[in-house]
Amino acid sequence: MKPVVDLKYCKGCNICIYMCPKKCYSKGVDISPRGYFAAVVSEPQNCYNHKREGKLICELCVLSCPDQAISWHPEGEETK
Amino acid sequence: MSLTPGEYFLQGNEACVEAALVSGLNFFAGYPITPSTEIAEGLARRLPEVGGAFLQMEDEIACVSAIIGASWGGVKSMTATSGPGLSLMQEAIGYAAMSETPMVIANVMRGGPSTGQPTRASQGDVMATKWGSHGDYQVIAFAPASVQEMFDLTIKAFNYAEKYRVPTFVLSDAEIGHMRGLLNVPSNIKIVNRKEKGVRRTDEAYDVPDDLVPPFPTFGKGNKAAVTGMTHGPDSRIEPEDPKIHQELVSRLNDKITKNRRDINKWDLLCPDSKHMIISYGSASFGAREVAAEDDRIGLLRLKTIWPLPEEPIREAASKAEHILVCEMNMGQLYHDIKRVALEAGCKKIELLPKIGGEPPTPGEVRHKLREMGAI
Amino acid sequence: MEVFDFYRKDRWPHVFCPGCGNGTVMNCFYRAFNELGWNLDNTVFVSGIGCSSRIPLYINADALHTTHGRAVAFASGLKLARPELDIVVFTGDGDLGAIGGNHFINGCRRNIDMDVICINNNIYGMTGGQASITTPHDFQSTTTPYGNREYPFDLAEIAVAAGANYVARWTTRHVHELTKSIKIALEKKGFNLIEVVSQCPTNFGRRNKMGDASIMLEWFKENSVRREKARSAAVDHVDLNLAGQVTIGEFVNRDRECYQERIGVEKHGEKH
Repeated sequence: MKPVVDLKYCKGCNICIYMCPKKCYSKGVDISPRGYFAAVVSEPQNCYNHKREGKLICELCVLSCPDQAISWHPEGEETK
Repeated sequence: MSLTPGEYFLQGNEACVEAALVSGLNFFAGYPITPSTEIAEGLARRLPEVGGAFLQMEDEIACVSAIIGASWGGVKSMTATSGPGLSLMQEAIGYAAMSETPMVIANVMRGGPSTGQPTRASQGDVMATKWGSHGDYQVIAFAPASVQEMFDLTIKAFNYAEKYRVPTFVLSDAEIGHMRGLLNVPSNIKIVNRKEKGVRRTDEAYDVPDDLVPPFPTFGKGNKAAVTGMTHGPDSRIEPEDPKIHQELVSRLNDKITKNRRDINKWDLLCPDSKHMIISYGSASFGAREVAAEDDRIGLLRLKTIWPLPEEPIREAASKAEHILVCEMNMGQLYHDIKRVALEAGCKKIELLPKIGGEPPTPGEVRHKLREMGAI
Repeated sequence: MEVFDFYRKDRWPHVFCPGCGNGTVMNCFYRAFNELGWNLDNTVFVSGIGCSSRIPLYINADALHTTHGRAVAFASGLKLARPELDIVVFTGDGDLGAIGGNHFINGCRRNIDMDVICINNNIYGMTGGQASITTPHDFQSTTTPYGNREYPFDLAEIAVAAGANYVARWTTRHVHELTKSIKIALEKKGFNLIEVVSQCPTNFGRRNKMGDASIMLEWFKENSVRREKARSAAVDHVDLNLAGQVTIGEFVNRDRECYQERIGVEKHGEKH
């Protein structure tokens, strides 16, 4: 599974960047439709849950995201 | 078991307790304060007998908060207090008005300001009841003048609180609360229950349109009600910034009471066509009642509802009377409002007999004042 | 239940500032609630006034957003009227400890069944950053421009002393521990308090050289000490709350009989 940042909700607080122990996230460079520098999942392959199905572990980013902007999606799924 | 029909000899506060139980009271939160303590004491004993809950809170703010909470659980709830307690409750009374919570507050008035005369009667909280909380809102208040009326009007208070979803007051005072008298419990007492959301209405009491009093979304029934004291739209979404929504909400809260004055207002009239009218309410009317009974030149309009003010009978009395004397146990609170209505109706001479200190005006004092006015 | 079955999606995004800890607590609460498999129809969320007290309005359930500081009193009445409902109170440090301090202490004492989640951000955030009862000593706020001259209040210890059944304190850096504690509290009877030390980068951090949420989280991580260890530290315990360190962990877990059991209203629900 890979984490996906929802640009509709992200307010660019960068808590995910701080929390992720595997450094999957990095600061955004483009302004999101809501006017924030939304975080980017730059290294999804570092994530503990990379290629993992069933019960997920870690999940610090999902639990910490104050704006409910991060969710899990299967690797193959197209997301924008 | 609530009281069976028949005759009883009870104290005013005890009559209030029994009336509350007859009305289906299920939750009471109280804090000791003279002279209302007997209501809390009585309900502490009686409520567990009928399967209700009694809770003694840490202060009056907590009492009124707890009964609002209980009311949203779908039960009838009540608290009892006196002047200083009413002052503490004001914020939550505004909250109840804004969130449209049915609840009853029995205020057994005592002399103020501040601690004042804890054991003596007064009518000093009349304006505080109506205008105490900030913002524009309406409440319903009844002023009983006997043990029997304490019973009858407490039941009415519960019925109107449920019907209009509004905080409702029973404004008695130390005189009525501690007076013992005959109580006649009739067999056919009309009890109004809440119009709940999602429940088909069967009671003819709900003749108020939904756009004024919306059905009550009781908690725990899947209504997903978001109750808030902030300005909210009809779907209970908070909209503190929208002038139109605020205007619509607050006007409806006021309209649901003022447009239903005819239904809410109760009064008692002695010698209606007199040239000399006394207007009074509660225990301040004791002396006036005696004067009007003895002298058929003197009429008495005794208000049982004081909020919203029964303008109709005042207007009618004022259009026929030359003199109007307002008897109150304060420095003149309802007087100014009565004067406004009476002046509009064409009466020129409206005077006040203010009596403070704890005793109702005596018949002698009322006669003396009438003589001073040139009425008799 | 998906996260947006639990929360009201039509009200998203919520009002909280970027980096606010309230959203983190919302995630943890949703996670705990979902893992228990509870029904939202049987739960009522009560709150007072403040940033954290807005949370119930975002939950897809019955919510009572009340006056400032009185949430515990409202919840007490509601629980006694409808003992079959589960009551969760969301509140903040100013709401619970300052204006509602009396209701809080007596709520713990009375031990009426409810779960209180106090999001302690050390500041009055909604009004723009005034010092609260938990602002650490010497820290800046708009009402303490020369540094806070007072000492902070230890909400969790008060709850222990006043008789709450379960008391725990975590920070928003400890999301898994927090989720676990919320789960324990939800399942437990009696008055349960979970204090979450949370970041307010906008109004607290910004004035104290921690304007970024991640700096504040790092501060929590560096300064939090488990309660077992904090007890042995040779420092005055009252001053510990955030001035030097945050005491975290479970403070108490006991089974005092709760009020509604003692007065026997437990079976009231059958009437409804």
